[in-house]
Amino acid sequence: MTSAAIAGLGITELGKVYGRSATSLAAEAVRLAAADAGLPLSAVDGLLVSSGNKQDVGIQLANVLSTGPLGVCATMNAFGATAGVMVASAAKAIAAREATTVACVFADAPLKPKESAGTAYGSPRFNSREIAGLGGWSLAGGAVNPNILYAMCARRHLERYGTTSEQLGAIAVAQRAWAAHNPLAAMRDPITIEDHQASRWIAEPLHLLDCCLVSNGAVAVIVTAGDRARDLEKPPVHVWGWGQAHEVRRMHAGSDWGLVTPAARSGPAALRMAGIGVDDVDIAELYDCYTYTVLVTLEDYGFCPKGEGGSYVEGGRLAPGGKLAVNTGGGQLSAYYMWGMTPLSEAVIQARGEGGARQAPRNDILMVSGNGGILEHHSTLVLSPHARELPAEVTA
Amino acid sequence: MSSAEVELPAFPAVARDAGSAAFFDAAARGVLLVQRCTSCATVLTPEARTCLSCGSVDLDAAEAAGLGRLVSWVVVRHAPIPALAGAVPYLSAVVELDEGPWLMVRLIEAGSAEIHADARVQVDFVRSGAEENTGELLPVFRLTASDVVSDVGPEVAEGSA
Repeated sequence: MTSAAIAGLGITELGKVYGRSATSLAAEAVRLAAADAGLPLSAVDGLLVSSGNKQDVGIQLANVLSTGPLGVCATMNAFGATAGVMVASAAKAIAAREATTVACVFADAPLKPKESAGTAYGSPRFNSREIAGLGGWSLAGGAVNPNILYAMCARRHLERYGTTSEQLGAIAVAQRAWAAHNPLAAMRDPITIEDHQASRWIAEPLHLLDCCLVSNGAVAVIVTAGDRARDLEKPPVHVWGWGQAHEVRRMHAGSDWGLVTPAARSGPAALRMAGIGVDDVDIAELYDCYTYTVLVTLEDYGFCPKGEGGSYVEGGRLAPGGKLAVNTGGGQLSAYYMWGMTPLSEAVIQARGEGGARQAPRNDILMVSGNGGILEHHSTLVLSPHARELPAEVTA
Repeated sequence: MSSAEVELPAFPAVARDAGSAAFFDAAARGVLLVQRCTSCATVLTPEARTCLSCGSVDLDAAEAAGLGRLVSWVVVRHAPIPALAGAVPYLSAVVELDEGPWLMVRLIEAGSAEIHADARVQVDFVRSGAEENTGELLPVFRLTASDVVSDVGPEVAEGSA
């Protein structure tokens, strides 16, 4: 049989979308994705549901959607790696004949009027009034949110390899240049390295322009068998390979936490399954909660040797017209923050050739990453507009 | 922000609970209490529940020498949570104890010019909270003076930073 394929993409209004629950946004995204595929909602017989930090969308979404009989129905959460894990799970369910048409959705609505993005994404663990015990000592230690913890990781790289803040800035600048041509992007005005350097510190060494946006909204994809997808409304986006790897922070001597991530196992696994090498990749849509996440993922995937990510991203390599098309919609830094659905949605658009003014010159092979925790959970997808036979071990 | 928040202490008052009494008793004596695996003797963080070397859950309290090196650090200038409004600007650091475990702690009295990866650090103790609402003594770290010979052990000072 052929590989599974993404046949539909649904994206709701994104950003400062107030007054709607995450569940309502999720339902709309699934409906849009089915319509995009040219399928009635009744054709959906699998539902994988994910949501943000509040985990406030469940499988009750099936009730909201009044779905027909489902062969697969579950919530999934691997933090920012979830989108890739959902698509791989859908592909496996289809190969196992548990379902034929699986909707995978992410929805989140953390933003509220008159509240900062930082407040919206604050860690509930540290919002408690009572400060006690070892947790109180930890709170007083001050590493209380992802900004600070990712900055801790970035600092290790800066110290170990001589990577500079300006090199991180090159990633932000390149992505903003892509975002300029993305009608879905929240931030489209061009920026320079100087703007990056002048933006306020969030957690030094990370500037404001090293950090992602926070968005309300929902994104869904419809996964079905590749040969079936060919007969549907939109050009199929075939799933050639997948990988996932998880490695919790090892807080002990010898740990390479922050310097090497589970991407180093997930990426090569996905490429191996796809039967290609990293040099074959035309477009990389990389999870970018921070600029540093892009840099370390490029290294771990093997686009450049470990430690050379800083010089690799310089000189506009990732920007429109550069040698490698990376985060062609602006990513989470400049477009919208829908966890792993941000890179996945843009990959689908690019694979279909629907990128308009931002369409990358070649789109035969796309690599999509998801990252969660503090560089602890990773997923990878290899996608292509071209069909491919599934390796025997997957169908067995 | 209200003036009350401006006067918040540099270290929010931390209260002890049942699980941390021994840790804070040790801190009051100028001792950093960590854990040691009873099976393989790996030294672990105070919070660890499982030995990362052998998987044992039998962990005993152990006294750390209080010396280590700097793994990483971050300068925080805007309070990430209200409880740290009196703390900014502050340095949050990952410190590797000579015994092995990594701790996420505050680094005090360090100028950014003198900080670098692998810098030697030593434990210190500061009083959390302020007059009206005083909390436990908290282990923090500071750069070891370059002229301090490591075999004399940590200089333990009690008091507010």
